Amino acid sequence: MKRIFVDEERCLGCRSCEIACAIKHSHSNKLEKAIREQPLPISRIRVRKDENNAIPLQCRHCPEPSCVYACIAGGIRKDEKTGLVVFEEKKCVRCYSCVMVCPFAVIKLGKEEQPAVKCDLCQEEEIPPCVRACPTGALFFGEAEEFQELMEKRRKRGEKDALLNTG
Amino acid sequence: MHYLILGNCAAGLNGIEGIRSLDKKGEITLISAESYPAYARCLITNFLIGTHSEEDLYLREKDFYQKNGVKVLPGKKAVRIFPKEKKVETEEGKKIPYDALLIATGASPKALMVKGEEKKGVFGFRTLEDAKQILKRAEKAEKALVFGGGLIGLKAGYALKKKGLAVEVIVKSPRVLSRVVEENSSRLIAKWLQEKGIKIRTGLAAREILGDKEMSGVLLDNGEEVKAQIAIVGKGVSPNLSFTEGSGINTHWGIVADNYLRTNFQEIFVAGDVAETKDLVTGERTINALWLAAQEQGKTAGINMAGGEKAYPGSIGANAAEFFGLPFISMGCLQARNGEIIRERKEEKKFIYRRLVFKEGRLIGAVLVGKVEAAGIYMALIRKKERVENLMDELLEGWIDYGKFEKILEGENGFRETVTPDGRLIKLP
Repeated sequence: MKRIFVDEERCLGCRSCEIACAIKHSHSNKLEKAIREQPLPISRIRVRKDENNAIPLQCRHCPEPSCVYACIAGGIRKDEKTGLVVFEEKKCVRCYSCVMVCPFAVIKLGKEEQPAVKCDLCQEEEIPPCVRACPTGALFFGEAEEFQELMEKRRKRGEKDALLNTG
Repeated sequence: MHYLILGNCAAGLNGIEGIRSLDKKGEITLISAESYPAYARCLITNFLIGTHSEEDLYLREKDFYQKNGVKVLPGKKAVRIFPKEKKVETEEGKKIPYDALLIATGASPKALMVKGEEKKGVFGFRTLEDAKQILKRAEKAEKALVFGGGLIGLKAGYALKKKGLAVEVIVKSPRVLSRVVEENSSRLIAKWLQEKGIKIRTGLAAREILGDKEMSGVLLDNGEEVKAQIAIVGKGVSPNLSFTEGSGINTHWGIVADNYLRTNFQEIFVAGDVAETKDLVTGERTINALWLAAQEQGKTAGINMAGGEKAYPGSIGANAAEFFGLPFISMGCLQARNGEIIRERKEEKKFIYRRLVFKEGRLIGAVLVGKVEAAGIYMALIRKKERVENLMDELLEGWIDYGKFEKILEGENGFRETVTPDGRLIKLP
């Protein structure tokens, strides 16, 4: 299945992905309007960072997701065909059980009546907006093998650069 | 192959799916004490509040049983098991043979054990039928008393408060949620509930339910009479296992399960609120009667019934809930008894509290009130039993540096399919 992969070395922690995601999940799909929406649209991706590291995290669509077992409303399922972990938002009763078990802490609850939300991999988009928005190529959307190839290329290039620098 | 499943809730339902993940053909028969399709038991609160209809509670599509080739016997109960004959006897004396049996009969509310308990108006809070009866009576009731300050009692009280009734929670112990959270969280949550109009009285119990056929009030053990038209009994549950008597099936707190959810009989499995499993944190045998545990156990047992070999890692006592917009999550051991280290952070005015419990360098328990987002990371650390002695303060601050956690979370559910420092791509499972 196509997924979002992260090359953390490249993540600067600029949060462009968060903004793109929030806009995508707003009513207006436009930044200038989205920032005035009530409730504010919620980004499904979150950049965790400190002085040295940054990593964007979102639902990993786990092979055996704990959230599916935890949901007391039967609102989360693992789609066998697509591999997606699917949230049926209208079923959410805000019990926080999914939050309790998600090892990446990537499920978010807004205020009051809003359902829990998480990354849905933007099914109707060819490439998810968070990936498109990333200015450094830290986010990649595709199959695991494709990502591996890309990483190998990047690593070789990195080695070459390193050699040049020392040379 | 004939699979027989006793029980049609979280464990039974997942049992079906577990079996079908490996065996598409074998016959499945399911005996259900209730006559509804499997429904979200925890959501009877929402049904009572009125945000959810009966259909909203159904966990699967209408044709689920048919699609999965499951023959359902609704409104039936198993009364005896004959492991040697591989048969289960139902109430009307019918013997049903099986090749593999899943016991997922759940639990029932404990009684108050006081005079007058049979009167109309006294309810457990466990089934959709309970909720329907309470709903009917709530229409003309003004006040409800809840006996027991556990999650079930508080949820029922919360729902009735939302319906406009006056609600008093009567707890024998000195605090609410005494089995769910520790003192600080308990006090904070109780304060919040009281501010929202739910009265909480501790150190009291019912002595007698008053009234004729219908209850009109309750006599408390301090001699006080309280007028009320509804009493909810939330004194915990006990596993439904009376039908195993004389069968030779090993029982203790519940029906004893091994690491594969097997009983002491090769072809009899157990899952859900009736199953006694190993607690992941304490290592002791216990019943963690929780939705999460029931679903995972049901699925695992189903897979093993169909010839799979899936180990169940053990259950963990963990709860999550939200009342009037205040969420809280608790998991594992919360008390310092024997050399545990406690780290906590309080912002009482904001109704925020966080407590982490460490033992021998490992996280063994956590409770979060108000701000709960990071809970799942704590859960992962508890489950993986990783040493985190150098990270105790960072963990408490809710500041999770994934750089440091890389080694800890690596491999957890496919995390780090990104490339590790040595250029290795962690394989997708």
